[in-house]
Amino acid sequence: MKRRDFLVEIGTEELPPKSLLALAESFREGVTAGLDAAGLAHGKAQAYATPRRLAVHVRRVADAQGEQKLERRGPPVSAAFGADGQPARAAIAFAESCGVAVAALGRVTEPKGEFLFCSVTRPGAPAAKVLPDIVQQALDRLPVARRMRWGAGKVEFVRPVHWLVMLHGGDVIDCELLGLQSARTTRGHRFHAPKPIALRSPGGYVAALRKRGFVLADFAARRERIAAGVAAAASEAGGEAIIDPSVLEEVAALCEWPVPIAGTFDERYLELPPEVLIATLQDHQRYFPARSAAGGLLPLFVAVANIESRDPAQVRAGNERVVRPRLADAAFFYAADRRQTLASRRDALAAVAFQARLGSLFDKTARITALAAQIAALAGHDAIPAQRAAELAKCDLVTAMVGEFPELQGVMGRYYASHDGEAAEVAAAIAEQYLPRFAGDALPATSAGLALAVADKLDTIVGIFAIGEKPTGAKDPFGLRRGALGLLRILIEKRVAMDLRELIVAALDSVRADMQRLADGKSPAVPDSVVDEVYGFMMERLRAWYLEGAPGVTTEMFDAVLDMRPVSPLDFDERLRALGAFLALPEAASLTAANKRISNILRKSGEQASLRVDPGLLRDPAERQLAAALDELRTEIEGTLAGRRYGEAMRRLATLRPVVDTFFDRVMVMTDDTALRANRLALLAALQRLFQHTANLARLPG
Amino acid sequence: MPKTRKTREARAPRNFQDLILALQRYWAGQGCVLLQPYDMEMGAGTFHTATFLRALGPEPWNAAYVQPSRRPGDGRYGDNPFRLQHYYQFQVLMKPSPDDIIERYLGSLTALGVDALVHDIRFVEDNWESPALGAWGLGWEVWLNGMEVSQFTYFQQAGGLDCRPVSGEITYGLERLAMYLQGVESVYDLVWTDGPAGRVTYGDVFHQNEVEQSAYNFEHADTTALFAEFAHREQACGTLLAAKLPLPAYEQVLKASHAFNLLDARKAISVTERQRYLLRVRALARAVALAYHQSREALGFPLLRGAAT
Repeated sequence: MKRRDFLVEIGTEELPPKSLLALAESFREGVTAGLDAAGLAHGKAQAYATPRRLAVHVRRVADAQGEQKLERRGPPVSAAFGADGQPARAAIAFAESCGVAVAALGRVTEPKGEFLFCSVTRPGAPAAKVLPDIVQQALDRLPVARRMRWGAGKVEFVRPVHWLVMLHGGDVIDCELLGLQSARTTRGHRFHAPKPIALRSPGGYVAALRKRGFVLADFAARRERIAAGVAAAASEAGGEAIIDPSVLEEVAALCEWPVPIAGTFDERYLELPPEVLIATLQDHQRYFPARSAAGGLLPLFVAVANIESRDPAQVRAGNERVVRPRLADAAFFYAADRRQTLASRRDALAAVAFQARLGSLFDKTARITALAAQIAALAGHDAIPAQRAAELAKCDLVTAMVGEFPELQGVMGRYYASHDGEAAEVAAAIAEQYLPRFAGDALPATSAGLALAVADKLDTIVGIFAIGEKPTGAKDPFGLRRGALGLLRILIEKRVAMDLRELIVAALDSVRADMQRLADGKSPAVPDSVVDEVYGFMMERLRAWYLEGAPGVTTEMFDAVLDMRPVSPLDFDERLRALGAFLALPEAASLTAANKRISNILRKSGEQASLRVDPGLLRDPAERQLAAALDELRTEIEGTLAGRRYGEAMRRLATLRPVVDTFFDRVMVMTDDTALRANRLALLAALQRLFQHTANLARLPG
Repeated sequence: MPKTRKTREARAPRNFQDLILALQRYWAGQGCVLLQPYDMEMGAGTFHTATFLRALGPEPWNAAYVQPSRRPGDGRYGDNPFRLQHYYQFQVLMKPSPDDIIERYLGSLTALGVDALVHDIRFVEDNWESPALGAWGLGWEVWLNGMEVSQFTYFQQAGGLDCRPVSGEITYGLERLAMYLQGVESVYDLVWTDGPAGRVTYGDVFHQNEVEQSAYNFEHADTTALFAEFAHREQACGTLLAAKLPLPAYEQVLKASHAFNLLDARKAISVTERQRYLLRVRALARAVALAYHQSREALGFPLLRGAAT
């Protein structure tokens, strides 16, 4: 069978840069999945993406599907023919659906009777017939949040489309997709190469676009070229470019023919906090900032144009001009903001709503101040810095700078607090309250920051649950899932043993009081069940976190620990680790099986087992041995548990294996002697209790 | 079809009024009805009936106009070189959006003397949503060497109704564009005209207005009267809709919306209330949109007559 390369390219108006890569990858996967499903043999597939095109190049696609073997069972023979032996409607319909005559149908005998059967082999359809559907389905499945319409047409796509290339080898696959007639002509850069470019074959696609079109079609290659070009431009201007990967990706999605251009700004703006400069240059303009060898920012940036300008000086001047008013604004805000202390801004928070029923940011500030102080004290830290940081925590939200650059919340608070002469820990804590902002982000470093970060997240989670707006499906406007996980990560990774329920109850008390006050006492009562709801919500986040990120942790292991209702997330983590270590021991399988057996025996006995074992009633040496081992272990394990040394407790437990095995080999628990039986059940109950100190082993499979 | 790149370089407009004239001439050449500004306060050219209402329903429509736009909260007493509480937008609406609308837009930049092979022109995703109008669309902000000079939107919904066909909307911020073309750092230094009677700047025309109107917006606007006005306009809108008068009803929406903007500038509306006021304006805009669509339908969509295609 002949095999030739296949190329599809959709020419569009400028696509959304942040989803460009995902669209390209999805398109490639959709096309190859379609080829596989259709039985069209093919080689490797490569996706191409620029602001104005999505393309997939598949190597060596077969000219036709393989032979299609059709095997189908039809109606029962008894229903297929009339009394006269003529085919009934059922037989005719079946034959038609298989595309053969009734006479060509075979029969098959199955346990349920004899059935009509059709087995035909047909030549596969030519690729040219199948490929348009494959592409259409891949396009239909692209992950697009909102498809759009344009003009008077009915077609919907990410952005309006303008051309379609469908080439199989040197041949155009004649079809219409997205309202476009297929052809072999692509188009180059909007300004450098506006005339159509004819492609002879798929293999020449990238080279034709590069040489004649001023387009670098390969996203990764373009990204690399930008990174290298930006670094070179910065270094030529005497600096080192700061290249944030997400900005690099966005810039690569915004151009087809990248040309880095270095620009400068007035040195006096270097007095601004570096975060402000970076936000202006990087987040607002997609420029790359630059620093000196010593690490400080330079009055330098690199912009990436999409044109080889006839007069690059004009492009540079234009880009420099754009940042000027922005930096001037920022400098003005910075100076104006510092004329007023953060502390004096607290009253202004009363005018900013946090949530209608939970009050203003002023109300929230009061709640987290109390909570942060309490948390700091519980953690054994000085409560004063935490309390002060909490009082000032939200004040930067009403500064001009954060109004203009919301992404600088917390960071500006830190600068302004330092300027006001607040303690260093207080200033640091204000910035740390928002940590961690994303998976893998840093955690608060100061104890005040830790208390504040936990208090702020907890107040939001408990408050939103209290008003009945907990997250559902994709809806989580207050970011509670992220907040809950951040809070748990802090308590676990910073090793702060804190009773989570107690914290939830404390937060709920304040929330309730505020809700009543804000509603003049007419707020509907918030039920106590909110505590369980919040606790359960957090435990589910914890479960997801372990299952995603901790190798070897299973959902059964998580449940085994959860059953013990660990007081603190830290306690939870320690139990889970000890359980994991225990399960890796050779004794584990036999002991978990024994534990299951004990649970079954105790349940089936229908008796309420006493925990008191009468040594006088121990007859068999095996049960005396077990009782002795238990006595010895109980005191030891209780000691390790008090110190939360779960690993040690579990290792000690593993030493029980020989006596437990012997006990079950030799001793008959459900004997007819009621006194002996009760005593043996008591022994097992005591053993079970010992088994369940760290985790409920009965949850584990096996 | 217009050419995006002409060998003959268009002469750049030398002053503010030349810029307006050049855009008007260009878009008139594209078949747009050249309209005049709507004679009521509004926050943007989109609120003009020639955009918001004409974008509804099946009738074709192409229009271009300057719209004075008021954003009371953006007043800076004439002190800020970039921010104004009263400024101009140049608005183009083409419905259905022609297949080559981007090329036509680029043609307008050429007409303003912008050479696409010298300057870096980029279409950067910027989707538009007006909660007050119950409208949204997908599109871009257009960057000229990193500076936003226009907004480009394909309307998908207006007043809560699906737009079929889709309108293409182009909005130029005239002051910003003029500052770029004239190379000045303050809006007040823009040359408005430099004719036989001498040079007149933007500052000569508008500085006193910015100072006084800022004082009005932030200090003197009578909030009690404005709250009453909002309520009155909201009620009047309902009455007029009941009388099947969508166009007068729409003017009540504009009045209510402006009253809301003034109250907002006076900080008389708390953040939580703010959302509720926006929803009230949106409810009015939706009701008007529906009524207007019905009224056009009752007339048999008159502009469909001319549309042979």
